[in-house]
Amino acid sequence: MEKSFVKKILIFLGILFLAIMLVLPLVSVLFHAFENGIKVFIKSISNEEALKALQLTLIAAGAAVIANTVFGIFASFLITKFSFRFKKIFSLLIDVPLAVSPVVAGLMLIFAFGKRGWLGPVLDYLGTKIIFDIPGILIATIFVTFPLVFREIAPLMQTQGTEEEEAAAMMGANWFCIFRKITFPNIKWALFYGSALCASRALGEFGAVSVISGHLREKTNTMTLYVEILFNEFELASAFAVSSILVMISLMILILRTIAEYKAKKWEDK
Amino acid sequence: MYVELKNVNKKFGNFTAAENISFSVPKGSLAGILGPSGSGKTTILRMIAGLETPDSGDIIIDTQKVNELSPNRRGIGFVFQNYALFRHMTVFENIAFGLEIQKKDKTFIKNRVHELIKLVGMEGFENRRPHQLSGGQKQRVAFARALAPNPHLLLLDEPFAAIDAKVRKELREWLKETVKKVGITSIFVTHDQEEAAEAADKIIIVNRGKVEQIGTPAEIYKNPATPFAAKFIGDAVEIENYGNFHGFKIENGFEKALIRPEFVRISKIEDEIYPYASERGTVDGVSFKGRSMEIKVNVRGKSFLAYHSLEEAPIFAGEKVSVLIYKMYLYNNEKVKLIENASLKNEQEFSI
Ligand SMILES: Nc1ncnc2c1ncn2[C@@H]1O[C@H](COP(=O)(O)OP(=O)(O)OP(=O)(O)O)[C@@H](O)[C@H]1O
Ligand SMILES: [Mg+2]
Repeated sequence: MEKSFVKKILIFLGILFLAIMLVLPLVSVLFHAFENGIKVFIKSISNEEALKALQLTLIAAGAAVIANTVFGIFASFLITKFSFRFKKIFSLLIDVPLAVSPVVAGLMLIFAFGKRGWLGPVLDYLGTKIIFDIPGILIATIFVTFPLVFREIAPLMQTQGTEEEEAAAMMGANWFCIFRKITFPNIKWALFYGSALCASRALGEFGAVSVISGHLREKTNTMTLYVEILFNEFELASAFAVSSILVMISLMILILRTIAEYKAKKWEDK
Repeated sequence: MYVELKNVNKKFGNFTAAENISFSVPKGSLAGILGPSGSGKTTILRMIAGLETPDSGDIIIDTQKVNELSPNRRGIGFVFQNYALFRHMTVFENIAFGLEIQKKDKTFIKNRVHELIKLVGMEGFENRRPHQLSGGQKQRVAFARALAPNPHLLLLDEPFAAIDAKVRKELREWLKETVKKVGITSIFVTHDQEEAAEAADKIIIVNRGKVEQIGTPAEIYKNPATPFAAKFIGDAVEIENYGNFHGFKIENGFEKALIRPEFVRISKIEDEIYPYASERGTVDGVSFKGRSMEIKVNVRGKSFLAYHSLEEAPIFAGEKVSVLIYKMYLYNNEKVKLIENASLKNEQEFSI
């Protein structure tokens, strides 16, 4: 009796908290986005600037997912299937991007690749520019999401060991075949989960990108930066409309991620 | 000789895992590498497979030196200690894997896999995944999977370790039969002397990365070449001051002795045959060992084991008995020596 009363209170508080902290803001974004009718909504998101921002955001997220997936697979292989010196330091370094604030990460990149940065002269000589330009946005996004895929698959590969791979090798398989038929199927759901995590994080990235972008309209604006600009200019309806797009993409990824997580769990239990 | 190791050495860091390992295995025979945990058995097997590279020495398979050959080109079947079945594949797919790598055609693969499934007695389990199998069933699948691509050499790392005693015995006999039937040269690793003795044509005893003795189970049992082999084989009990026992004198250079249960005969006092060669002892404990009783007897403060047939008058714990020690192994750091009960010899001559 007593217990079920406590339980009810806790459930009530939990739901209240979720409602105030999550559902209310979420709904309000969608509500405000459509407040002035669907026409205003469509106009807000279909102008040149909004489309450019959406495009850049998707490109940056895509680049982050691809780069970090490739890196994550290689690094996990290195860490779990081989032994070498400085292994500890190596895996510690991979975590740096998650440990520092994105704004600081942005500054670090400026010091490294900026005009007066260490690599500045080299980039100048090559005639390319990274900071305040699209490559900078991509690098910043990749940087802040760097360890996400690695962190998902490395522990899994560690617990799975190397024996299945060795067994495949004994049956005559070459390394590519071993990866394709043994390693990859064993990590694919964790890999997918990590990629989705990376994508969500990349879509929402603000700090590092804000520092790097130089706020050049229609050139280096991502969705989040664009929302900020609209907000500062009191274009609230447009700000909400653009935000709602981000929200919808994120929700979609969240659903995919949940599916992947479920599958990965089931996989690990085997 | 089909498989030959010549002075093979392997270090991990500055730890010597294999030192001057040399042995050979004839074609079509089943060899057992026997040794305690950490003695380097797996390391030796993995070097033959190509999963570890020896620091020096040669590994020769079928007259070809294979040191530089990568594992996937050695044509060896390997059964891992914990099977390492492909967890995302069914039993069928696991066994078919090696054949698919060899790009055999579909009907061939199907026939061969079914043939192997039948051989290992796993009909009806084709579509199960590894996590739906028992330990013994996994073992069989691992074995079938290793055999499928027709390897010319089969290596098995403690294939029965994770399986309970009764099934282990069955599987062991089954393995021996199957290996003989297929006629494939095989090397298996075990730390169980009984397993090695029952299954192997030839036993290689290793200890601390070195080969202690090579021989048939009977040879090793009868003539242990090193103190380690003498202690490791048979349920020998170590005793000091062996000169206190009737019929045995301390020999120079040998401080300790080993007594195996088979070297001891226990009888009721009234049934004693050779009084001058025998001792009196007290029974500490009796346990039933299937075909005979194992008796723990205490003589002059030393405990050791003996067997007692179920056909003879039963002996109980606490009883005073006559204990006849026929022989024992004397040993020091380098040598082993078998000595017999001198009084018994005299008595036997006397009574004739
Ligand atoms: N990769 C490695 N790195 C460092 N040391 C190792 C490595 N592999 C094995 N060793 C060491 O080499 C020794 C022999 O190991 P090995 O696995 O060959 O023993 P084993 O006879 O198979 O033992 P067990 O019966 O317990 O399986 C052990 O002391 C082990 O710690
Ligand atoms: Mg081992």
